[in-house]
Amino acid sequence: MTGEANLTPVFVRLKLSLLRNGLRQSAGRRAAYVVSAVVVVLFGALQLLGLIALHGNTHALPVVALLVAVLALGWAVMPLFFPSGDETLDPTRLVMLPLRPRPLVRALLAASLVGIGPLFTLLLLTGSVIAVAHGGAAYAVGVVAVALGLLVCVALARAVAAANIRLLTSRKGRDLAVLSGLVIAIGAQLVNFGAQHLGSSGLSQLDPVADVLKWVPPASAIGAVDSASDGSYGVAALQLALTVGALMLLLAVWSRHLTRLMTSPDGSTLQAAEPAARERTTGGLARLLPAGRTGTVMERSLRYIWRDPKTKAAWVTSLAIGLIVPVFNALQGTGSIYFACFAAGMLGIQMYNQFGQDTSAFWMVATTISSTHDAYVELRGRALALLVITLPYATLVTVLTTAMLGDWPRLPEVLGLSFALLGAMLATGAWTSARFPYSIPQEGYKNVAPGQAGLAWISIFGGMVSAALLSAPVIVATIWANVAQDGDQWGWLLLPLGAAYGATITWAGLRLAAPRTAARLPEILTAVSKG
Amino acid sequence: MTSGAVASTAAVRVRGLWKRFGQQVAVAGIDLELPAGKFIGLVGPNGAGKTTTLSMVTGLLRPDQGSVEVVGHDVWRDPVAVKARIGVLPEGLRLFERLSGRELLAYSGRLRGLPGAEVDKRATQLLDVLDLAGAQHKLVVDYSTGMRKKIGLAAALLHNPEVLFLDEPFEGVDPVSAQTIRGVLERYTASGATVVFSSHVMELVESLCDWVAVMAAGRIRAHGTLAEVRGEAASLQQAFLELVGAGGRDTGSHLDWLGGGAR
Repeated sequence: MTGEANLTPVFVRLKLSLLRNGLRQSAGRRAAYVVSAVVVVLFGALQLLGLIALHGNTHALPVVALLVAVLALGWAVMPLFFPSGDETLDPTRLVMLPLRPRPLVRALLAASLVGIGPLFTLLLLTGSVIAVAHGGAAYAVGVVAVALGLLVCVALARAVAAANIRLLTSRKGRDLAVLSGLVIAIGAQLVNFGAQHLGSSGLSQLDPVADVLKWVPPASAIGAVDSASDGSYGVAALQLALTVGALMLLLAVWSRHLTRLMTSPDGSTLQAAEPAARERTTGGLARLLPAGRTGTVMERSLRYIWRDPKTKAAWVTSLAIGLIVPVFNALQGTGSIYFACFAAGMLGIQMYNQFGQDTSAFWMVATTISSTHDAYVELRGRALALLVITLPYATLVTVLTTAMLGDWPRLPEVLGLSFALLGAMLATGAWTSARFPYSIPQEGYKNVAPGQAGLAWISIFGGMVSAALLSAPVIVATIWANVAQDGDQWGWLLLPLGAAYGATITWAGLRLAAPRTAARLPEILTAVSKG
Repeated sequence: MTSGAVASTAAVRVRGLWKRFGQQVAVAGIDLELPAGKFIGLVGPNGAGKTTTLSMVTGLLRPDQGSVEVVGHDVWRDPVAVKARIGVLPEGLRLFERLSGRELLAYSGRLRGLPGAEVDKRATQLLDVLDLAGAQHKLVVDYSTGMRKKIGLAAALLHNPEVLFLDEPFEGVDPVSAQTIRGVLERYTASGATVVFSSHVMELVESLCDWVAVMAAGRIRAHGTLAEVRGEAASLQQAFLELVGAGGRDTGSHLDWLGGGAR
């Protein structure tokens, strides 16, 4: 049993060495680490000051409880997105060592407390306690609460990582990492909106949230401090007990996964031995699509939206922003119904650089295009696949925005404008796909291969400006309908007009792009094969 | 098989083919006629221009100069006739990796305009023969190198082409998969079709091919039947080294300290 006592310092030292060696690799990395450390500490200190300033405020508890809950969420999500961030997180590296789970859990937990993340958490938790604590008893509970809160956060990260380690070390995990930036971006949008909303309507909005959160660990630890301040020691004890219970549960879950990981073959062997993946149903989707090249192209495009991480990330961004901008603006009462066109515009972007999305696999397409007609059908199939999602989505967003603003008479003209804009985006997208193709690197966050950024700029911004110009007739008609004296009566006409215009211009764009595509197949292949 | 009709003509006829990448000349004026119905090996050291040549012959890369005819049709002027008659397995280009093996074949076959039921029937047989049936529902991105070469070969064979172009089909492939690929290719050529493949493994070329073209520094150094190219040399390897001018490069006495007793 002597090993048990020695394990913890060994792991803490291991964590420190890993940190130090990581920094030794390059000056850039060292600088990045120092800068991020300084930023985090400064930010943490500011938070601390802010929270101390909050001391005595009636809304302190709701704010603090929400803050701690978000922090815990961050701890739970971090290992999924940045699995390589902490090498001691991967217990499969320790498989060869004769270790028992209990001391290992203790040692790893201690090692996890080393780093910038835990320091930031410590600052934030301390600030939270100070914000809500009144009286000696409350501060005493606070000390326990900080320790418990920190441990719950760390154990949560560890448990999530251990439960998903096989996912994290596999291709699927790397695919997931591509989406992480996106989740953070959308999360930031939501937080931003939430903050604005709070700013305009007051912190009291948070009270019902706090009533729930103060019972959810680790925020329940802060809840206990608050209860102790009010003198309700029974409630405080219950909340602390809840936090301890959560910690125990997390440790148990973690320990169980750890044991299983340490006693079963490692991930790489398992993956190879895994039984054949579940049968991918080809029937459902294919049966609904048209036969021939059109259906084949549509089917692959639709599959790629779901299966290819880069394509998926681009789509989710477009879908989310296309929804967030009009709906949130409408929610805040500052929106115009015309913001609904944003959805069509954002989704239309997906038509751009179609062949770049194929990467060098475009050769499979190139070897089957031998005429302008083939190229036309190929491009049309891709546009149709896009429309399958875009048309209902743009319509939905428009109807939703209209409903929120209660401006039903304007619905037809906004829909018409959306369709015209979508058509213009598809047309310019098809044309630039043939004229300005560029590579999308499959690894990392970059969406343009080195040296092709100019090409991407021309393609996207030139295309968007052209799309705006192309939809000018419908825009002018919309303005006229709003400005002219009896224009309102004719507003509904803009729906069929816009839809017909969009369809026509898409058709024209595909017709123009097809001969270029067919004539430039080798050049397109070269352009999309970098990276 | 349609190949009977073209047995007398060349499967591939290349005239004055040039390709430069900036300052570097990758292919420096190739004239070549590859006979139909043969198992043809294009051999040469790394950087000889094999991949560039095969890319230009298959229409994936535009030549600076020269013409290419496949079974009597110009690759650049008559792509309709050529693209339906050739199968390609390029090197260094991806497949649609987010499809499963079976989906990739279904996609590739339908894209070429084959009826769906026929594609599925052929795909099942190809997956069986190439020993991929067990992995047919796995995504290609999770395939090993050998499996990728095999699924690429299946996609290239699916429309029953007259001429098959394979760029390094055995590179990084394990012996079992290599034997499978070999078996399929031998059966395919036995029916009168033409296979053109590039490699730098001489033993392989010697045991598989009945016609060989040797490339070095962007030019064809020798071509003809295996016996003609081998000539007096003991093996193709020896003949090749002499052709590319590396034959005399003996390690000689420079490394005489290497091995032996005293350290």
